[in-house]
Amino acid sequence: MDQVKITIALIIAILLQWTLRNIAEPLAYIDFPLIIVVYAALQRDALKAIFFGTFAGLAVDALSGGLLGSNGFSKTLIAYMVSELARRVYMDNLLLRIPVIAGACLLDDLVYYGMHRLLSQDPVGNVLINISYTLIGTTIVGTVVYLFLDFLLVERARSKKREMFPNRRQTRRRNPIRLSK
Amino acid sequence: MTPWLVIVLLLGNFVLMAFSAKTDGGPRIVRVWSQTAADFVQSPVTTIGSAISNYFGSISNMRSAQSENDFLKQRVQELEVEIKGNEDLTSENARLRSLLELKEKSKYKVLTARIIGRDPSVWFDSSIISRGSLDGIKLNMPVVTDGGLVGRVTAVSPLTAQVDLITRDKSGLGAVVGEISASNVLGVVSGTSKKDVLEMRYVSGSVDVQPGQIVYTTGQDGIYPAGLKVGEIVEVKTGSATVQHQIFIRPSAGINSMQEVGILIYEAPQRIEFEQKLPNAVKEEKK
Repeated sequence: MDQVKITIALIIAILLQWTLRNIAEPLAYIDFPLIIVVYAALQRDALKAIFFGTFAGLAVDALSGGLLGSNGFSKTLIAYMVSELARRVYMDNLLLRIPVIAGACLLDDLVYYGMHRLLSQDPVGNVLINISYTLIGTTIVGTVVYLFLDFLLVERARSKKREMFPNRRQTRRRNPIRLSK
Repeated sequence: MTPWLVIVLLLGNFVLMAFSAKTDGGPRIVRVWSQTAADFVQSPVTTIGSAISNYFGSISNMRSAQSENDFLKQRVQELEVEIKGNEDLTSENARLRSLLELKEKSKYKVLTARIIGRDPSVWFDSSIISRGSLDGIKLNMPVVTDGGLVGRVTAVSPLTAQVDLITRDKSGLGAVVGEISASNVLGVVSGTSKKDVLEMRYVSGSVDVQPGQIVYTTGQDGIYPAGLKVGEIVEVKTGSATVQHQIFIRPSAGINSMQEVGILIYEAPQRIEFEQKLPNAVKEEKK
C-alpha cells in the first residue's frame, strides 16, 4: 500500500512541476520530483528509487527546453547514491533528512548543469542564483513534504506506538448487585 | 544487480542527451506524447490559476477604486476632447491612405494561442502553447507578439506546441540594424546566458551602429520572414576595422510577461541545393 502511495505522490509531483511555473515564476525553484525521489530512496529500496529517478527526470525533460535525459541522468544518480547512503546510515530522523535533501538538490543541479556544459549547451540565467534558490526552495518544501508523507505512510510507526503505549486494559467491573443468591 | 541497472539507466540517459544535443531537440516522439499528456493537466490548471489570480487581483484593485474614480472622471473629460481631435486625425488619415493606396494587411496568416505551460526546469525558458498540428502548426513556424519576434516552434503535438525563445543561447537568426532596404548592417542575433538580452554578432566594426536603433529580421536564415522586429539596441561595444562590434539588444516582444502569442503560418522557401559535383570530374563508366 505504501508503494502505491509513493507512486501517486511522484505522479502528483511531476504534474505540479509541469504546471506551477505558469502560475507563479518562483515556484519553478522547487524541484518536486527530486523530493519524492529522495524520499523513495530513503526507504532503502534502491530499485524503486532508481526507476522513480529515471521516470521523473525524463518526464520533466520532455517538457523542458533542455537536453532530453539530463534530468533522468542526474535523478537516477541521486536516487542510487541516497539509497546506498540510507542503507549504511540510519536516517529515519527528520532532522537528518534535511541535509540529505539539501545535498541531493545541490548535487542534482551541479550534475544537470555539468552535463549540459559537457555537451556544449548553455542554460539561461545565473548559475549561482539558480542553484541557491533551488536549494532553499526544495529544502524547505521537501522538509514539509516529508513530514506530511511520514504522517500518511508510516502505519508501522503507529502500530509500534501502540505497542509502546498500549491502552490500559479494561477490566470488567463486577456487578456489586448480584441477582442470584 | 542494482549497480548494473544504475549503469544501464545512466548510459541510456546519456545516449538520449547526446542524441538530443546533436539533433537540436532530440527524439521528438517523447516530447510529443508528453506534451499531449501534459495538456490535459496544464490547460485546466492555467485556466483555474488565472481565474483565481484575477479574482484576488480584482479585490485588491477595489481598494484603490475610490481615489481612482475621481481621477478617472477628470481624465474622461480630457479624453473626450482628445478623442474628438483623434477622430479628425483618423478621417484625415483614411483619406491619405486611400490616396496613397497603402495596404495594411499582414502578409501572413496569424494564429493566436495562449501560453499554457512554461519550462518545468528553471534552467531553460521554453513555453507550451495551446495550438498544435490540428490547427495547422508546423515545426519552425515563427512565433510573435504585438511587440515583435518571440521564437519558433520546436515540437508539435496534436493539441499543443513547444516554442523555443530567441533568448536561448542556441537560437540564431539573420538580422539587420534598421530597415532591410535602407541598411547594410547585417549580422546574426543569438541568445545569451541572460534572459532578457540578445547579442548581435558578425557586424563589421567599420559601420556606424548606435544604441536605440531597431533590429529586424532579414529573412535569409531559412526560418523567419523578413521585417519582423527583434528588439532595440541597448549597448554597443565599438569595434574597429579589424574587430567586430559587440552589440546587445533588448527583445521588444516582452518575453517575460507574455500570456498570448501569435503564430505566423509561414513556411520558409526551400533552399536550392547546388550541384556539388564538377562536370569534368565525372568519370565515364568503363564498359
